[in-house]
Amino acid sequence: MWSCWLVPAFCWLVHLCVAQSLRPQIASPQLATNNPTFTTIALEKPFCVFDGSLSPGKSYEVYLYAMMDSMSMISSAVTDNSSKPLDSTFQEVNGGQLGPYKAAVLNVPDCASPPKLADIRNVKKASDVLKQYLFRVGDDVSCLYDPNFLGVCNPPLASDTTYRFKYILVDETLGIMKDETLWSDPIKTNSVKKSSTIDTWPGRRSGGMIVITSILSVLIFLLLAGLFASVFFAVMESEDSATTETRHISQTVQQVAPRPQASSDRADQ
Amino acid sequence: MFSSYKDNCVCGFLLESTAQQGGLHEVLKMAKGDNGVRCFQGLLVLGNVIIGLCGIALTAECIFFVSDQQTLYPLLEATNNDDIYGAAWIGIFVGFALFNLAVLGIVGVIKSNRAMLLAYIILMLITYAFETASCITAATHRDFFTRNLFLKQMLEKYQNPEPLNNDDKWMSEGVTRTWDRLMLQHECCGVNGPSDWQNYMSKFRNINSDSEFPWPRQCCVMNVQGIPVNLDGCKLGVSGYYNDKGCYELIAGPMDRHAWGVAWFGFAILCWTFWVLLCTMFYWSRIEY
Repeated sequence: MWSCWLVPAFCWLVHLCVAQSLRPQIASPQLATNNPTFTTIALEKPFCVFDGSLSPGKSYEVYLYAMMDSMSMISSAVTDNSSKPLDSTFQEVNGGQLGPYKAAVLNVPDCASPPKLADIRNVKKASDVLKQYLFRVGDDVSCLYDPNFLGVCNPPLASDTTYRFKYILVDETLGIMKDETLWSDPIKTNSVKKSSTIDTWPGRRSGGMIVITSILSVLIFLLLAGLFASVFFAVMESEDSATTETRHISQTVQQVAPRPQASSDRADQ
Repeated sequence: MFSSYKDNCVCGFLLESTAQQGGLHEVLKMAKGDNGVRCFQGLLVLGNVIIGLCGIALTAECIFFVSDQQTLYPLLEATNNDDIYGAAWIGIFVGFALFNLAVLGIVGVIKSNRAMLLAYIILMLITYAFETASCITAATHRDFFTRNLFLKQMLEKYQNPEPLNNDDKWMSEGVTRTWDRLMLQHECCGVNGPSDWQNYMSKFRNINSDSEFPWPRQCCVMNVQGIPVNLDGCKLGVSGYYNDKGCYELIAGPMDRHAWGVAWFGFAILCWTFWVLLCTMFYWSRIEY
C-alpha cells in the first residue's frame, strides 16, 4: 500500500523537475498483479508529469505512443518537423515494429486529486480508480477488425516482445506537442511456455506404496507356502492313517452303534 | 472317509454337550484337550467375524468412493488412467466376497468340515489376491496425482475446440464442465493459481484473446447474479477481484484420501486375513478324518 503514499509524494517531486526527465512507468505490481500479460501492458497514467507545461485556459490532451524495442526501427520520432504529433496507426507501423504508433488519447490526469489506491477495495469505487490510475495497452481486441471503428485503436500486443512507451502533451486547439516524457524502459510481454513441456511423471514412489507392495507380496508368498505345507501334511497324514485304518474302522463301528439315527441320515446323502 | 469323520465330529458348540468326551480327543490330533481345540475354534470364528465386518466396511467405503461425491471422475477419466476407480470396484467385490467367505469359514470351523474349510481356504486365497491387486493399485496410483498431471490436462483439454475424435471430445467436455464448476463453486482458479493460464500456452488461450481473457471468467470474483464484480480488476489481477488460490487441493485432496483409504484399509484387512487364513490352514491340516 506504499503506492497510495507514493502518488502525492511523486506529485511534489514533479513540480521541481521537468517532464523530459521522466519515463512512463508500469502500473504498480502491488495493484495489478497480472501485468504484463501475453498481449497487454498496463501503464501508470502520467500524474503531475506535465504540470509545468500547462497554461491555464487551454485544453490539453495526452497521447500515448508505443513501439517495439527492435533494431529495424526507422525512426522513434513521434512528431513531424512542425512538432505536430504523428497519427500513425498500429497497422501502418506493423504493430510498432517500424516506428511508434498512437495507442491512446487520454485526458490530462488530475494532479490535484489523484485516485486513492486504497479505494480499490471498495467495489463501487474500484472501477473509477482503475480507470483514472492506469491505462492498459493492448486492451481492445475488436477495433482492428471493426470497419466502423474511428477512434484510436489499441489492439493486443505481440507476446514475448519488448515495448517502449512515451506520453506527450498536446495542445488541443493548436494540435501541437507541448511537452513529452522520455521513452520508457523496455517492458517485455510474457512469453509462451508450451504445455507439452510439462512433465507429469511423479518421480520417486512414496514410502507407503513401497511398504504396501513389498509386505503384501511377502504375505501372499507365505500364504501359498502355508497352503502347500498344509496340503503336504494332510496327504502325509492320510497315508499314515491308511496304515492304521483298522483302528479307525473299529472305532467307527463302536461309535455308530449307539446312534443309528445319525448314520441313516448320512446314508441318504 | 468323510462320513466316518462326520459321524465322529461333534459340530462345534452346538452339539458339544451331547458329544462323547472321548470322541473329541480323537477327532483333533492337534488338541491336547477339549478346551484347547475350542479355544482355537473360537479364535478362528472371531477372526472370521472381524473379516466379515471389515468386508462390509470395505464395500461401503468403496461404494462411497465410486459414487464420486465431488464429481471429479471426468478429470481422472481424461488422464486415461482411472486405476483408482478400478481398485475401488475390486474393493466392492472383495468386500462382499469377504463377508460371504467369513460366513463360510465360521460354519466350516464350527462343523470342522474339511471340504468346507478347503473351499474356504482356496476361495479366500483368490479373494486375497484380488484385494492385494486393489490395494497395490490404489497405493501406486495415488503417487501419480501430481500438480503437473492436472495442470497439463487442464491446459490441453479445457475448452478444447478441436478434439481429435469423439472420445477426446467427450473427455474435453467433461474436463471443461468439471473445471467450470470447480472454479465457480470453490472460488479457485487453475491448478496452482490463475498464473497457470498466464505461464503456459493452452487450448483456452488458442481460442480466447489474452487481452480479453487472461484467464477464464470463472476466476473472477462474481456477484450474486454471476457477473464479475469488476471485470477490469479481474483481468489486471487486482487483489479482491480474482480468485488467487489454485484448485489443486480440491481435486487431489478427495482423490488422495479415497485412494489412501482403499489402500491402507485394504492392507489392514489383508494383514488380519493373513493370520486367520494361516491358522485355518493349520487347523485344516490337523483335523483327523
